[in-house]
Formats: sequence, C-alpha cells, structure tokens
Amino acid sequence: MAVDEPSTPACNLTALDSLSQDSIIEIVQSWDGYCSAAEALLKGSGDFSVGSSELISKVQILCKHGLQSLVQQHFLRMVEEIFESNAVVRFWRHFEPYRNVAALEINNEPQMQKDEIQEVLRKALEEISSDKQHQERCLRVLTMAVHSDSGNKRDVNTQKEPFFDNYKLMVSSVLMTSLPRHFPEVLHWYFKERLEELSTIIEGGEDNEAKFDDVMDVDGIGKLACRSGDMDVDGGHRIKRISENNKLVKNIGTVVYNLRSIGLTSMAEDAYASAIFLLLKAKVQDFAGDDFRNSVLESIKGWIQAVPLQFLHALLAYLGDSTDYASPSSGLKSPLASQPSSCFFGAEAPSEELVRWQLRLEYFAYETLQDLRIAKLFEIIVDYPDSGPAIEDLKLCLEYTGQHAKLVDSFISSLRYRLLTAGASTNDILHQYVSTIKALRTIDPAGVFLEAVGEPIREYLKGRKDTIKCIVTMLTDGTSGGNNMSGSTGDSLLEELNRDEENQENTSVDDNFNTDDKQAWINAQRWEPDPVEADTLKGSRNRRKVDILGMIVSIIGSKDQLINEYRVMLAEKLLNKCDYEIDSEIRTLELLKIHFGESSMQRCEIMLNDLIDSKRTNTNIKATIKQQSQPVLEEHELSMDILSSTIISSNFWPPIQDETLNLPAPVDKLLDDYSERFHQIKTPRKLLWKKNLGTVKLELQFEDKEIQFTVTPLQASIILQFQDEKSWSSKDLAAAVGVPVDVLNRRIGFWISKGVLSESADADANKHIFSLVEGVNDNGKTASNSGIREELMVGDDEGERAVASVEDQLRKEMTVYEKFIMGMLTNFGSMALDRIHNTLKMFCVGDPAYDKSLQQLQSFLSGLVAEEKLELRDGMYVLRK
Amino acid sequence: MATMNSESSNNSNTAQTRVPVSSKQPLQTAKSVDTQSVLKRLQSELMALMMSGEEGISAFPEEDNIFCWKGTITGSKDTVFEGTEYKLSLTFPADYPFKPPKVKFETGCFHPNVDVYGNICLDILQDKWSSAYDTRTILLSIQSLLGEPNISSPLNNQAAALWANQEEYRKMVEKLYKPAS
Repeated sequence: MAVDEPSTPACNLTALDSLSQDSIIEIVQSWDGYCSAAEALLKGSGDFSVGSSELISKVQILCKHGLQSLVQQHFLRMVEEIFESNAVVRFWRHFEPYRNVAALEINNEPQMQKDEIQEVLRKALEEISSDKQHQERCLRVLTMAVHSDSGNKRDVNTQKEPFFDNYKLMVSSVLMTSLPRHFPEVLHWYFKERLEELSTIIEGGEDNEAKFDDVMDVDGIGKLACRSGDMDVDGGHRIKRISENNKLVKNIGTVVYNLRSIGLTSMAEDAYASAIFLLLKAKVQDFAGDDFRNSVLESIKGWIQAVPLQFLHALLAYLGDSTDYASPSSGLKSPLASQPSSCFFGAEAPSEELVRWQLRLEYFAYETLQDLRIAKLFEIIVDYPDSGPAIEDLKLCLEYTGQHAKLVDSFISSLRYRLLTAGASTNDILHQYVSTIKALRTIDPAGVFLEAVGEPIREYLKGRKDTIKCIVTMLTDGTSGGNNMSGSTGDSLLEELNRDEENQENTSVDDNFNTDDKQAWINAQRWEPDPVEADTLKGSRNRRKVDILGMIVSIIGSKDQLINEYRVMLAEKLLNKCDYEIDSEIRTLELLKIHFGESSMQRCEIMLNDLIDSKRTNTNIKATIKQQSQPVLEEHELSMDILSSTIISSNFWPPIQDETLNLPAPVDKLLDDYSERFHQIKTPRKLLWKKNLGTVKLELQFEDKEIQFTVTPLQASIILQFQDEKSWSSKDLAAAVGVPVDVLNRRIGFWISKGVLSESADADANKHIFSLVEGVNDNGKTASNSGIREELMVGDDEGERAVASVEDQLRKEMTVYEKFIMGMLTNFGSMALDRIHNTLKMFCVGDPAYDKSLQQLQSFLSGLVAEEKLELRDGMYVLRK
Repeated sequence: MATMNSESSNNSNTAQTRVPVSSKQPLQTAKSVDTQSVLKRLQSELMALMMSGEEGISAFPEEDNIFCWKGTITGSKDTVFEGTEYKLSLTFPADYPFKPPKVKFETGCFHPNVDVYGNICLDILQDKWSSAYDTRTILLSIQSLLGEPNISSPLNNQAAALWANQEEYRKMVEKLYKPAS
C-alpha cells in the first residue's frame, strides 16, 4: 500500500513529510475498510445503504488525506474487473447458442426459436444494464463521498463528468474487446425480424382499407382518437393496432436504449439501419416486380413514410433524442399522420435526424429501383409504350441518382447479348431500336445517352443486308406484317414521325412568339447544362432535337440509298396495281418529301404521275374506241374494255426486268390495237409493251365449274396454250410461249400446284409432258372451294420481281467500278483507300457515275480482298497476282 | 508627270484590251471547246478500255490530270518478252485525237525500236497516226511491237543485231529487265 502512495499524483511530498504516525495508521485502516466496503458494495452483497454509508465514511477519511484520485482509480479498476468477470461473461453466454445465427436464418428454424432469441436478447440486455445501473449507483455513491467535503455543487458536476466518462469508456471497451463475432448478426437478425413484424402490422391495415394512403389516414384518426380519448368502436379497433405498434416499438426502443447504454450505439445503429435497408430493398423489389405498366415510385415513397420512417420516428422519440418539440406523450404518434401525401410533415418541422433518414432511405429506394429497372430495361423497352410508367419511374430515379452511365453500360450489354444476334430478325431489331429511341427520349430529352446506346445497334444493322428494305417497309407501310411487336395501329412510322415533328415545331414556334424579355429571363432560368457525358461536338441541347428519322437514315448511310430502295419498292407496288388507286402512295410520298426535300423525291413523283396519266390515257383510249362503231367481235377477239395499261416513263423508273414472252394472238392483237390508239392520240409517242409485266385475271371454265385466278402474263399464256391442246411437252410449250424451258418449268409449277395441270415424265427422261387435268374436282386441293377466286401475289417468289432490286443495281454498278479499280491498280501498283475513292470520283463519270461513299467503297474493296482479287498491305490495296 | 502617267496608262489599257480581243480570245474559246471534247473523248476511251478488260494491256489517268496516263503492257506469250511487264507513260496533246499522244517506256526495255530513254519508234505514233486510233489500239500495237520488232529502222542497234538469236535475246531481256517495284 505504501508503495502506491508516492505514485498518486495529488500527493505532494511536503504533505508526506508532515504525516504523523497516527495519520498513517488512520490511512491504512481506512484503506482496508474502504476496500472491503467497496467490494461488498460492488458485488451487491449486504445492504446497499449500510455498505454505502460505510464506504462514504472511509472514503471521506482518505480524501481528507488527499487520496481521492487514488480511491477513484482503484474503484474504477475494481468495477472493471467485476464487470468483465461477471456481467460481460454472463452477457455473452446468453448468445452462445446462437453462434450460427446466419445459418439459422437460412434454415428457417421454427418461429419458437426466433422468439427465443428475441427474448434472450432482451433479457440479456436487461441484465447487463441492471448490472451497469448498479455499478453506476456505486460510482455515484463514491463520487458523492469524494465530494461531500467540498460541498460545492458546481464542483461536483465538473468533477463527475470525466469520472463517468471513464466508466462508460471502460464499459464499451470491455464489451468491444470481448465481442463475439456473431453478436452483430444476432442484432441484425433481431432488427430485421422486428421490422418485418412491424411492417406486416402496419400493412395489415391495407386489407381493411384497400388503399395504402388510407393507412396513413387511419394513423391520423387513431392519433386524434388517442388524444381526445374518444373511444368509438371503430377508432378503438385502430388504436389497438397502433398501441400494439407502440408496444413493439417500445420493445425495440428498450433494446436500442440498452445497447446504447452499454456503449454499443453505433453497432445498434448499424444493425437497425441495415435491417431497414434490407427490408426496403425487399419491398422495392416486391413493389417493382416485373410489371412495367404501373408507376411504383409513389407507392414506394408511401411505404417509406408509412413503415420505416414511422418506426424511426417512434424509436427516436422513445430514445428521447429525436425531438425538441414533442413531449414524450406525443412522441409516439406517426410523423406522417397529418400529411398523407408526399408533402412531408407540413407545418410540423421534422427533426433533423428524421429528415436525414428520409433522404437516406429515399436515395436508397431510388437507387434500388433504378438498378432493378436498368437490369430489366430491355424488357421494358420491348413493352414500350405499355411500359411508359416504368420509364417515368426510371427517369425520376436517374434524375435523383445521376447514374446514367450505369444505364448505358448495362443496356448496351443486354442489347449485345439479346438483340444483336443472328437469331433476331432485322424487323425486330429495328422496332426495338425505334422503341429505344422513344423510350430514352423520355428519360433524356437531349438524346445524349441515346447516342451512346444507339451506336451498337446502328453498327450492327449496317452489317445486315435487308436493313434498308426493312427500314423502308417500316417507314412507308404501317400495316404490313412483321411488326406485331409494336401492336401497330395501322399508321406508318413516317406518319407518326410527322406528327411528332409537327408537335415539336409547334412548341418551337411558341417559343419564338414569346421572346420578350420576361420570357427570355424565364428561359434563361430554366437552362440546364448538358449532362457531363454529352459530346460537345454535337451541339448543345437546344439544337439537338431527337430526330428518329435521322437516326434511322444514319443506319443506312445516306438518304439517297433509302430513297433508291423506296423507289424500287414503289415501282414494284405500282406495277402490280390493277386499279389506279395510289392515294396512300401519294400520302407517303408527300411525307417523304417533307423529310428529304422535293428534289430528291422527284423521280418517285414522276412515277406516281405516270400512274395518274395512265389512268387518264386509258379511259381516253377506251372512250375513243367506244365512239367509233365497234365491229362485231369475231371469235377469240377481245374487247378493249378488259385491258388497262400502265404507261411509265422508263427513264425515271428503276431498271425493269425484261423477259421475252409470246402472248396469245388475240391478246397480242389487242395490245397492238391499243398502242396504235395511243400513237394516234399522243403522236409522236409510241407504246412499247413490257409483256412480261402486269397481272391477268382469268377464269378457267371446266365442265362443271369455274375458277378465277389472278396470275402473271406468263402463267396466263401457259394455261391458254392448253385451251386447244390438252397436253404439251415441255419443250414445245416453251417454244410456244417463247421462254426458255427452265423458266417454263419454274412457272408452270403454279398450275400444277393448283391441280389444273399434271406433269408426267416421258420415256425420254428430259422431256416432261404437261397435261390438263380434266375433272379438277377430283383433285382434293381445289375441289371444295369451286368458284372461289384464287389470289396470287404477283412477283411473290424470288426471281420474278418486275424491277431490278437495289442490290442487283448495286452489283451491276460495282462491276464497273471493279474494272476501274483493277485498271488503276495495274498502273499505279498500290493505292490507299482515299486515293482510289478520289480517282474513281475523278474519272468514273460516265454511266453509272461513281457516287458511293468512302465506307461503301471500303466494304466493296474488302469484298474484292475476300475474293482474292486484291490484297491489303499496310493500308494500301494491291493487285493479287 | 500626270499627263505622262495618264497617257501611259491609257496606252497600256488599249494595248491590253486590244490584244486579247484581236488574237487571244477566239483562240481561247476554240481551245476550250476543244478541251471539252478532248476530255469527253479521253473519258470515253478510259471507259471503253476499262470495260474491254483486254489481257495484258492497261492504262489509267494519273491522279488529277486526264491528259497524262500511265500504261502497263505485259509481254505476249511465246515471245522473248513473256512474263515481263512494262510501264508506259502516255501524254495526250491538247488537240488529241488529231495528234498522236507521246508514248514512252518508263521501264527500261531492251528492244530494237525502243531507245535507252524509252522513246518508241512506231509508225502509228508518228506519221501514220489517225484519229481513229485510241488508247486501246496504241497499247495493243506496242504490245505486238514487242514480239514483232521492225529491224529495218532500229533505235537500239544492239538489240536489232541480237534479235536473230532469240535464245540470247531472251537472256538479255531477263538480264536487263527491272520490274517496277
């Protein structure tokens, strides 16, 4: 003991000198007394008041000798030892059975065990805090004793603080050092269970109230009822529910409070925060689901306010550090009770802590929802426009979180994986592309992210051969098949685009009208910077209107190609028309003109005008014939009425496939008469017939029935040959019709498939005999539907197209270029792409003139490289020898 | 000074205006019309040459000047020039096709009718020229000249002397042949 004395800092050496023998004895005696009293007091044996008074007297004596700091330190160490060896060990022992709480959770142990954990946690916490309270009481006694002589109240307070702080520090450090690893899990699990319980209780009202907002109203009513003590039946029921809530909150509150008191504040906070987030995440997933047709953001927000915030508010109020304004009695009411909508709290100022929580929770909810939606963005866009609400949600989320880049990355990778594969049809890709453009336009009106997302699609589509065709079909023909994805309304994409365009223009016109100073100021205030990801080269937000058509055309490369393809399709369509109905084509053309300019659509316009002229000429010719007294028709002579012609200005039409063909004599005569008439009316112009084009409506009369067909002229003349002779050899028939045998064999298949003709092999293997099937009704195929008009889409099968396709034209042009390229490479050795391009531009000016883009040339050249005609060495093309 | 100045400037003005009016301008218009037709002719010749796809002869205008062409001919089969390839330059005069183009070998060619500078002695390129000839016929003529030289009026006497001995001649051709890289 004596050794201790000099070490006490309060001890001064002169005092030590002046110590008499008596006082030394007194000190030693009181020290012994103090020690035993303190031990008895701390261990809780004996009467507290007796023990404490004894301790007080001993301590007072020691203090008189200036030993108070020694006493305090000694006491604190004793407290620590006892705490560590008793309370802590006992506390942790409670949780020993739950070492594997995480595993337990997975295994779905029976509810009993879960409840047990809850009970154990509560008990253990109560126990340890009662231990701690006891020790605190002892400490208070000691402090009282130490300071009783000074009697200065203010002094006591200032002295007390560090002493108790030391104690708290000791408690928490002892707990932390001995913390078993599974304890945070136990805590986490506990809060999770409680919160789930709470949320089911709160949501239990949903069944009764049908609407979620009502739950909050209910809270409001409940609160009012609670305040006023008005216990009507209905209110009473609700109050019960809330008070249950409160009990639950109280339980949780107690646990948190106790955890705090033993210094595990941050651990407790972590535990319930993570529990809340986990629950929130599950909820968001629950709400969001796979249904994109409803906006879920509001209900998620509502839930945040109804469940976690209410809980937090109650908890914070219970712990007493949440509110300055609320008295403890009203602390448990719902913070949202008075304001069911998103307008939070209203007049009541929320505590800062709660607002922070709300922001945290909402951000987390936004982020979770955003991640969910981004992951499903592909499906969402497939469903567009039905999935509009989900897109709106995503937009709000992104505005809040600003994680657009995540969207771009994830969406591009899902595009690559799911859309840009060989299995997807070009039509589907295009439709998805258009939907993507529309959907992303909602999220990001500036089109910055769209550019990033659209790039891979465009690149991919460039590699597909039928892209242009699909685009043109999509643009001009809204009703055609293949677009079952978008649930077509019958409008072509072009018309839709036009409507959009008009809307955009209208708004911009409005902008221009209102450019007075005030409006300018408002506009200036509304200005927002481009997103960071924006490419500054591409102009600012205002100038960068999202131009769907432009984006689609950019896939093709140039509008000329698109127009050319359209021209071919238009020609095909017009040539197959029997009536001169071209209203829809005119409409499409007008729309195209708006987008591409009059001049570029000039040829198409001429084509349409040809049709209009044809109609007029046709009626004109027929009318003049009728005026003249018509001689009686001889047998096999045909009336002019059955003929209507399409007169085209072939210079403006795409190249038309020519196929020689012998028409039956009466028809030929008819055509000659017609062209003669034409020549008379339109001298000096003459008609040149394209006999292989057009459609023939004919009726086959059999013994017992008639069948109507709409066929090509070739097919018609084939079957007409059977009028006189029942059977033909293929060779003779081909000669009679005037086509090669192989063409005949191909075309005659139509009649065989209809059961009108039959084919039989002759003794000579190369010779086929076709003969007319007499009783057609013997054939099952057409027997039942006698008299029904058989339709054949003329030019349906490949190789029977009236107009040379764009690919054919291109191939033809490219052979010319190939010769030029070969020529220049022979003489110049090696040339770079640029130089070839320029040289072609310079010298290939005849017909066809070189008008391809550098990219087209490059792909053509790589085709030649693949054909082993050229080689590419260090960016220079050379001939392969 | 002032009068002097005005006088001189007047003089020069009249001189400047008069000269072109009297002589230059009509010439220029005639020339420009000519140039147009020459351009057209050359272009169509190029197109015809390209489309003919004749083996062993080829020519193409240089980068920005359709009056200067580069040509390529390969030695015909069964001649001593078999397997060789010669570069030519063809320069068309402004009054083509009334005057023949200047044709020279760019690759050294050991041939009785070609000198060391690549000049060619070929009648249709000189006095026997006719506007009916075109680039294609010129190239074909030169190609056939390779196998059938005119020994009677040689530019390269050594080659003319050696021509009789085809085996030796072939060795000489191979020895002197430097293909364009």
